[in-house]
Amino acid sequence: MANGSDSVTPEATDAELVGRVRSGDEAAFEELFNRHRRRVAFIINRFFKRREQVEDVIQETFVKAFFALESFDGTHDKSFPAWLARIATNAAYDELRRTGRRRESELSEEETAHLEANLRAEGEDGDIESALISRDLAHKLLARLSPEDRLVLTLLNGEEASVAEVAEMTGWSIAKVKVRAHRARASLRATLHRFL
Amino acid sequence: MFGRHHRQLTKARLDRLGAAVVSRAAEVDEREIEAVAASPFLYARVRARIAAERERREAGESWLTMLTVAWRAVPAMGLAAAMAFGVFWFGGTSNISPESLFTDEVMFAANDAGVEHVLFADRDALSRDEVFDTLYGSGDSGGSDDAGLSR
Repeated sequence: MANGSDSVTPEATDAELVGRVRSGDEAAFEELFNRHRRRVAFIINRFFKRREQVEDVIQETFVKAFFALESFDGTHDKSFPAWLARIATNAAYDELRRTGRRRESELSEEETAHLEANLRAEGEDGDIESALISRDLAHKLLARLSPEDRLVLTLLNGEEASVAEVAEMTGWSIAKVKVRAHRARASLRATLHRFL
Repeated sequence: MFGRHHRQLTKARLDRLGAAVVSRAAEVDEREIEAVAASPFLYARVRARIAAERERREAGESWLTMLTVAWRAVPAMGLAAAMAFGVFWFGGTSNISPESLFTDEVMFAANDAGVEHVLFADRDALSRDEVFDTLYGSGDSGGSDDAGLSR
């Protein structure tokens, strides 16, 4: 990449920066990176809790974005964050598929007992938020689902995205998102049912 | 009826629990995000991965080019081989068996009709008598008339 750091101005739009990256301006890509890395980290942090894994997926997202810049049409400035969010979501999905349902997500006896006690207590006082434990344990429960189920549930419940937005971010059809969400909830119910 | 109601309650409860589990897992740690996003080496690592990916793609492209050339060359070479075989097969030499190609006559080209025997006959070459005549010709004082007779 050529270096043209002198000419980057904060006022430049994303579309302008993309055009300059295409012409070999490395500083323009660094400016795009600095503008959007927090948003990308925000998306990826919903899926992974280990910092090394989050950093790795962030890097993968920007590498993919760099080589895919030719396909970015840049018709209006707001489309770049959405385009980048889609790449980040797909990179997270690839990482979920790569790691799969990991054995290390198995719950220990202490965690299982703790979860059973909390879930039963939830039935008595109805306070789900206080019943449910640490983020680490929640991740271990979700790790028992398939990558597709984790992705769609995290986007719908965690990101609070609409079905249409999930379809946009994943590239799936709306019907597929609905079917996958239905199956994912059933799968999660079955997982939780074992502890009741 | 009671059993169905109980199942619905259980399902609704599990759905609420599931939603809570997902929300808890997807909770965002602002400090963690700030720490990751502000990592000083993050962009340097991105650049290194871009360079590595670029090299990998270029290596892949060179292989692809070679494969394309081979892909185009194979049919051409096949066609040339087929034409050569056709010329050999239909060129009037089909009665030659492989064994006959390794006989002594063929190896020493004794009966090779393709070899043109060239006879270098110099019509203007001097005969022995002419040489003698030149040396001891009639112009010489010690010469004899025999030289002139032999002509």
